[in-house]
Amino acid sequence: MIRLDSVQRRYVSEEVETTALYDVDLAVETGEFVAIMGPSGCGKSTLLNILGTVDRPTGGRYRFGEQELAALAEPALARFRAETLGFVFQSFNLIDELTVEENVALGLAYRGSRAQARRARVAEAMDRVGIAHRSRHYPHQLSGGQQQRAAIARAIVGDPKLILADEPTGNLDTENGAQVMNILAGLNEGGATIVMVTHSPSHADMAKRRIDMLDGRVIASALRAI
Amino acid sequence: MNRFALLSLYRSLTRHKLYAALNVGGLAVGIAVFLVLALYVRFETGFETWLPRHDQVYLVQTEWHIPDSPFNGAFPNTMGGLLDQMREDFPGLVGTRIRGGEKGGSVLRGGGATTEDIAQVDPNFFRVFDLPMLSGRGDTALASPASALISETAARKYFGTSDPIGQTLTIAVDSPQVYRVAGVFRDLPQDTELQFSVLLPLPKTVPNPYWYHWGSTSISTYLRFATAADARSFAQKLPPFIDRRGFKDLGKDAHKTVNLTLLPIARQHLEPQGQQSASRKITVATLGIVGLLTLLIAIINYVNLATARAGLRAREVAIRKVLGADRGALIRQFLGEAVLMVAVAALGGLILAELGLPLVNAAGGLSLTIPYAEIVPALIGLTLLVGIVAGAYPALLLSSFPAASVLASARAPGGGRAGTRMRETLVVVQFGLAIAFMIGTFVLVAQTRHVRNADLGFRRDGLLLVTSLSDSNVTPAQAHAVLAAMRTLPGITAVGIANQMAGGSGTNNADNVPLPGKPGNGPSLRWIEAGQGFFDVYGTKPIAGRLFDDAHGSDDGTKRAKGVAENIVITRKAVATLGFRTPADAVGKTVGGSNPLTIIGVVPDLRFLSPRLPNDPTYYVYKRDLPSDPVASLRVSGDPRAILASVRTLWQQMVPQVPFDGDTADARLGRLYQADDRATRLFAIGAGLAVLIGCVGLWGLASFNTQRRVKEIGIRKTLGASSGDIVRLLIGQFLRPVMIANLLAWPLAFVAMRTWLAGFDDRVALSPLYFGAATLLAVAIAVLTVIGQSRRASRAAPAWAMRHE
Repeated sequence: MIRLDSVQRRYVSEEVETTALYDVDLAVETGEFVAIMGPSGCGKSTLLNILGTVDRPTGGRYRFGEQELAALAEPALARFRAETLGFVFQSFNLIDELTVEENVALGLAYRGSRAQARRARVAEAMDRVGIAHRSRHYPHQLSGGQQQRAAIARAIVGDPKLILADEPTGNLDTENGAQVMNILAGLNEGGATIVMVTHSPSHADMAKRRIDMLDGRVIASALRAI
Repeated sequence: MNRFALLSLYRSLTRHKLYAALNVGGLAVGIAVFLVLALYVRFETGFETWLPRHDQVYLVQTEWHIPDSPFNGAFPNTMGGLLDQMREDFPGLVGTRIRGGEKGGSVLRGGGATTEDIAQVDPNFFRVFDLPMLSGRGDTALASPASALISETAARKYFGTSDPIGQTLTIAVDSPQVYRVAGVFRDLPQDTELQFSVLLPLPKTVPNPYWYHWGSTSISTYLRFATAADARSFAQKLPPFIDRRGFKDLGKDAHKTVNLTLLPIARQHLEPQGQQSASRKITVATLGIVGLLTLLIAIINYVNLATARAGLRAREVAIRKVLGADRGALIRQFLGEAVLMVAVAALGGLILAELGLPLVNAAGGLSLTIPYAEIVPALIGLTLLVGIVAGAYPALLLSSFPAASVLASARAPGGGRAGTRMRETLVVVQFGLAIAFMIGTFVLVAQTRHVRNADLGFRRDGLLLVTSLSDSNVTPAQAHAVLAAMRTLPGITAVGIANQMAGGSGTNNADNVPLPGKPGNGPSLRWIEAGQGFFDVYGTKPIAGRLFDDAHGSDDGTKRAKGVAENIVITRKAVATLGFRTPADAVGKTVGGSNPLTIIGVVPDLRFLSPRLPNDPTYYVYKRDLPSDPVASLRVSGDPRAILASVRTLWQQMVPQVPFDGDTADARLGRLYQADDRATRLFAIGAGLAVLIGCVGLWGLASFNTQRRVKEIGIRKTLGASSGDIVRLLIGQFLRPVMIANLLAWPLAFVAMRTWLAGFDDRVALSPLYFGAATLLAVAIAVLTVIGQSRRASRAAPAWAMRHE
């Protein structure tokens, strides 16, 4: 499904040049649940951003299915994100001015789907993560766990081919963290492909494959022993 | 904009009420100021456009070119018989004359007389001025010498609810005559220079001996041409026509002395007369610019606050990008937001303008109304324009935020260093304009105060002016009798007559005075016929020599034999003009060539005319009996209003056939200052609001910046900075653009105010104090605006501040 060949990411400012990723090769197959681990600054989030097309590699190739993404222009990438990807962030990143329901629906709005068609899918997505009872609430009226569940609902509402989660439990307590992980595992069981960055070994253990990174390189890739 | 963008905008505005109020409120006030001043400009530049085919109608101007004459320049009047001569030389020419107009005659009823705006016109008046008629036919009525057309207001005034058609009115212009009402025309609108409520046919016999005298100006002549090219081609034929027809009165090359020009009637209102400066045009242009700049300041506010807040929305932008919004969609969203905000502000501006219009009308002596049918489409256009202009930069900035880095860092971008520089530049522009406005207001107020209090050479209070004495229907016997009776009225201490008076009502004369031993016609001086008591009333004391005195029989110029020198009193300005070193040198000398004038005394200059006009060197001659076209000035002690009432009663008893026309000097002089007072008030209102909008913007920006720097403040305090250091830091940051703004404001205000003051002969100096005061005020406003927030921020506990994001 995903194929990265020698992907590099270099940041160049006036005085310093920093390399966040060195020649990363990675393949993710449909239905996989991949956890990326590594110390802070090792390039996990950069890799996830490149997978999510919100950052562009400075070298190498990124193929999604049969599509070469590095060559796409920004509007096409925006359409790709709207139709193919779902994002979950550590800090939830819900829009403060929109209710839970509206935040979830926003995931569909950029696909151009009609309000009528959206309603049922939004309700279903909220139901799946157990946030339907808070649909009319604003983000600041929810607990961290509830906000993250709303964010997951937004990520899955469009049935994305790939869910990218960047430390989805980083801002949550143990109980809420476990709940969120269970939801993600459940989604994976249901067929969703997930790539997740995490610091938590126990959460990484819930993925089917674990990738370790250090200093911008993938140093190990191992399937979970079942 | 999709539904979610609208929703999030609405909720963001309702959640950040203060920000919304500042942003929308500031813009609304800016739009209101712009709207009101645009209405004013539209009114002032729209004169006569209500008239059907106004673009075909031209006023014939008389243009004087006499060396040194105070009367040079173009005037809106011509010789009475000009149109007759033009018709003879240019068959088929369409034109009409208007004789009289404002207070052009009186209507006699029940033994008394009422002043009325009466104009005498040619029978084909309606071929030029197609006035809308309510009843009767205008185009045929004026062919009959005893027919009158009256306005709807005059019809109500004289005939109440009964049908005026066929009824009679006794009207006195040169002498009383009975007229039959043949039609009623719709009242003239406010935006017209035409002033009449009664139209009469011009009499067949020539009304005055100067009717065909080239150089005289007694009526207005209007011509109609099918096209502008026809008018231009006619204008080219005028110089030979003037030379041919004016030869007898003006000599060879007559057009070099008196030229005739054509002025499109729509331009007449703002066209300066004679040596007047183009003050009306300047006033209209200035207020138009104030409106535009106020709107600009409001737009700057919007852009500043929107880009400053952009950082707070960076995360939202990033999320939208992650969810699939492309840059175009985001630009459309933010432009849409801007247009929507401007639309709300425009609606608010319209409401404010409607609410504020009565105040503005009172301050500016106007009667502006909002023509919704025109304003609403214009406002929609303005909304789109301002929305796009104001929204473009924030839209481009916001949509350019890279999603990955925004989501990766807790720090919100605000456009970086470029954004800060941009905002600072905008604050400089905003405060530069605000400071320039303040300087302008100070200078305008100082000048309008100055003209009200300046020494005119006489005391303004306790002075009454009676102009009805010059009415041709007042016989000399009546004039003498009424003047004698006035002298006996209680409270009147002196009565003086002349053909001029304070406020400029009367006759304006000027002549060249040849100087002995010098070639040429000599300098041009104004001259005034002074009668008995004139200098007493004005409290004029001689600087050198003496005043006119009945004990010196030769002072009276009434029955002077030709060639005998006439005694004159000259003004101080005339001393140098006539070539004398000191006033004492002038006394006893004779000037004037073949019309000898002997100087018997020198008096201070008296300023009777507008402070905008030069106070020309003048000489006085003495007419012991009655000056021609006399007007009376009365010095009174006690309540001038009460004494004026008793003068009025006396007049109505003794000269009932002529309406009384008199006022206090204060009121009469006040009319000279009225236009500038109004302009000053409108300017001050516009400028005050512009400064207010600027402050609102600065406050919003300061509040935002302080919030952004909370963490930095915490770090600084941890490192040992005191609250005072923090306040100084934050205030200093805002004072810098305000101080730099002076570099923009000072030259701008200097040039603008020098141009405006140049329109006054009697003017204040452009003192640096105005500039310094405006700068100090701006600094004080800026400090007061930001000090509250700075102090609050400086008091925050460092530990809390450093956790703040």
